[in-house]
Amino acid sequence: MIRALTYALLAFLAITHIAVVGKLSQHENVFPMNEDQDELFVLPSAILKIASFDYKGIVSDYLFIKGIVYIGGSVQKGSSQKFNINESQWCAFYNMMQISTDLDPYFQDPYYIANAFLTWDAGMTREANSLLEKGSRYRNWDWSLPFFSGFNYFFFLNENDKASEWLMEASRRPGASPTIASLASKIAFKASKTENSISFLEEMIKQTEDESMKKMFAGRVEAYKAILDLEKAVDAYQRKFGKKPSTLERLLKNKIILEVPKEPYGGKFYIDSGGNVRTTSENQLMPFQK
Amino acid sequence: MKVLWPIAYITLKEGIRNRAIYGISLFAFLLLGLNMLIANLAPRDVGKVAVDIALSTISFSGLLIVLFVAINLMAKDLDKKTIHMVLSKPISRSEYIWGKFFGIALILVLTVIFISIFAALSLYILKAGYESFFLRFSWPLVFLAIFFIVMSLILLSALSLLFASFSSTSFITLVLTILTYLVGRSLSDIKALIETASIAGATVSPITAKVVEVAYYIFPNFAFFDIKMNAAHGLSVPIATVFWTVLYCLIYGTLALTAASLVFRRKEFP
Amino acid sequence: MTAILTSGISKTFKGDLHARPVKALEGLDFEITQGEVFGFLGPNGAGKSTAIKILLNLIYPDSGSAYILGSDVNDKNIRKHVGYLPENPYFYDYLTAEELLWFAGSVSGMEKNKIRASSDELLAKVNIEQARTRQIRTYSKGMVQRVGLAMALIHDPQVIILDEPMSGLDPIGRKMVGDLILELKSKGKTVFFSSHILTDIERFCDRAGIIVNGKLRLAGHLDKLLENNATLEEVFLREVERAGSGGDA
Repeated sequence: MIRALTYALLAFLAITHIAVVGKLSQHENVFPMNEDQDELFVLPSAILKIASFDYKGIVSDYLFIKGIVYIGGSVQKGSSQKFNINESQWCAFYNMMQISTDLDPYFQDPYYIANAFLTWDAGMTREANSLLEKGSRYRNWDWSLPFFSGFNYFFFLNENDKASEWLMEASRRPGASPTIASLASKIAFKASKTENSISFLEEMIKQTEDESMKKMFAGRVEAYKAILDLEKAVDAYQRKFGKKPSTLERLLKNKIILEVPKEPYGGKFYIDSGGNVRTTSENQLMPFQK
Repeated sequence: MKVLWPIAYITLKEGIRNRAIYGISLFAFLLLGLNMLIANLAPRDVGKVAVDIALSTISFSGLLIVLFVAINLMAKDLDKKTIHMVLSKPISRSEYIWGKFFGIALILVLTVIFISIFAALSLYILKAGYESFFLRFSWPLVFLAIFFIVMSLILLSALSLLFASFSSTSFITLVLTILTYLVGRSLSDIKALIETASIAGATVSPITAKVVEVAYYIFPNFAFFDIKMNAAHGLSVPIATVFWTVLYCLIYGTLALTAASLVFRRKEFP
Repeated sequence: MTAILTSGISKTFKGDLHARPVKALEGLDFEITQGEVFGFLGPNGAGKSTAIKILLNLIYPDSGSAYILGSDVNDKNIRKHVGYLPENPYFYDYLTAEELLWFAGSVSGMEKNKIRASSDELLAKVNIEQARTRQIRTYSKGMVQRVGLAMALIHDPQVIILDEPMSGLDPIGRKMVGDLILELKSKGKTVFFSSHILTDIERFCDRAGIIVNGKLRLAGHLDKLLENNATLEEVFLREVERAGSGGDA
């Protein structure tokens, strides 16, 4: 009799327990979560180094994963839309990658991921480069970090000398493709930016494994090729008529080009007041820089 | 001298049969199994993360063994008076300390080997699955890192014996050992921090700097034995470094054990 | 040669925060010849265990000296010839009786085969043969005591020192210990044991010493002590009273 009662009591308590837990979990989120204030809190790396004792490697791994999860929530795969991440969040992400690589400066993933996001999406190329350059010092067998740094200088920052310098560094490292050295010298000689952009981007496509990134580069290559064709057409016009055309229609009219190439981003090519071939989708082609 | 082996052997047997060893080993296996899942979270550097986790598991498990098995073995003798059984035999106080030490060292070596087999297995499986991300992986470096871990654990045990020789309770021994590990491991980073802080312009009181410098020479520097990063990235370790590290371990360990013998000689067991 | 000789042994235990210093032994002088069975009788806290532990070099005397078979007690080698059973013995929980005996034998320099043979003999004699491969933590208190006896005897020592050997034993166990003591005596061994049980002293000892409050008050042949038809109990209680009132023997 007592035993039956005990079991009944246990069952009753178990059910009540489940109900109470359910009730409490609803109350857990009572405090307003301010989306804007998702701060990534980390300790300064010097302190973290000391506090990690024997485990710097896995703390570095953890911080890296924490960092990509932090921005992962707002990532839309393969889209060229800007991410729903504000500046301070990008800074927090960058800081996280810095700290992760302070704990383990040989860890390649933070450098790669940080470079991918900070340049194209956050417009923080200089910060990306500071990471890449740190990585290059330690990962002295790795040609890709100085290569990306060189690309950044060329493509985003328009600093050809630095670009060339970093490309040369990359070319000296084991496994570097021979085209890198020739790219370095082409840029040093200040050949046409559009042509260099195409060469560079084609090299980037070869070096990237991520399919969505490959597609993104390919789109840009297509756009630049179209721009290159148009630039050649503009030069041909200038040779013929002594001045640059004011609009693309003039090229069509004068049969220098048979048709206006398709703009892969859905915008329109045009010629600006300085006679340069541009596109209305410049923001997507050439991301904003801070 | 011949008595060292019987003392070591029964210490080994008593320690190996301790339940804690099973718990710690199980914990290690769990982590190593998790290694398979966690390592591939890294987009590219799967090899590095895998080695990080494998070596950290071995290191942490070893630390747990020192803290909860090794210290317990000493403590049992003193708290529960099994020491009477041992010291009433034709054994000197030093022989007791050294015999206990070798027994503990054997426990550590055997357990680490056991856990390392599973660690190696997890790495082997991951390497087979992610060949291209293990390009800089090196088995010799991984084993060297494990060897270094074993050395650091043995050194820590020697120190814990020293603490046990003068502490009145096993709790004090445990606390002192933990503190020594924490300070010993972080000293080289603290020293680096102080050196760079002055470059960065932050002021470091000269007293602090001196204290740290002195501590650096007195405390065991466990950072010498941490070559996990080398193993994770295939960065080779010069033979000279290996030589000096082994020498450091031998010298410091002998110092600790000799001091322990001296202190232990004065101890009484009412 | 005397088996055991102490000369002026004194020991004071320093008090800690709470307790005052305790004078455990004061000027202890006694002598035990080889082949004797000597009993140390005294109330609890009299200093019996302290004296024994000094003989085993587990405690160091503040002054005085102690010798076993002519060697100073701080010479570890003399303990090759000493068998010791502590009061309330503790052994490593996870070892078996066999392993403990192997340890005791090895450490005293015995050959492996000899250890095996002696182990078999002793384990049978103290009646724990069937439990020899079980871990000590499964043993009852009586069994632990008997393992302790085996360990004290495995290396065939000349001098056997037993601290309260009968404590915690049932009548069968007590008979076994008693028989063992008599057997050792017949082999010419020296047995020194402490007890607060009068009948044990009466039954086995040739000579005895009564120790109260750290001082040896009376020592000598049993029949001498019990002259005038006094019982050991009367003698003992008288000495306790004398010690209490501050008189000296």
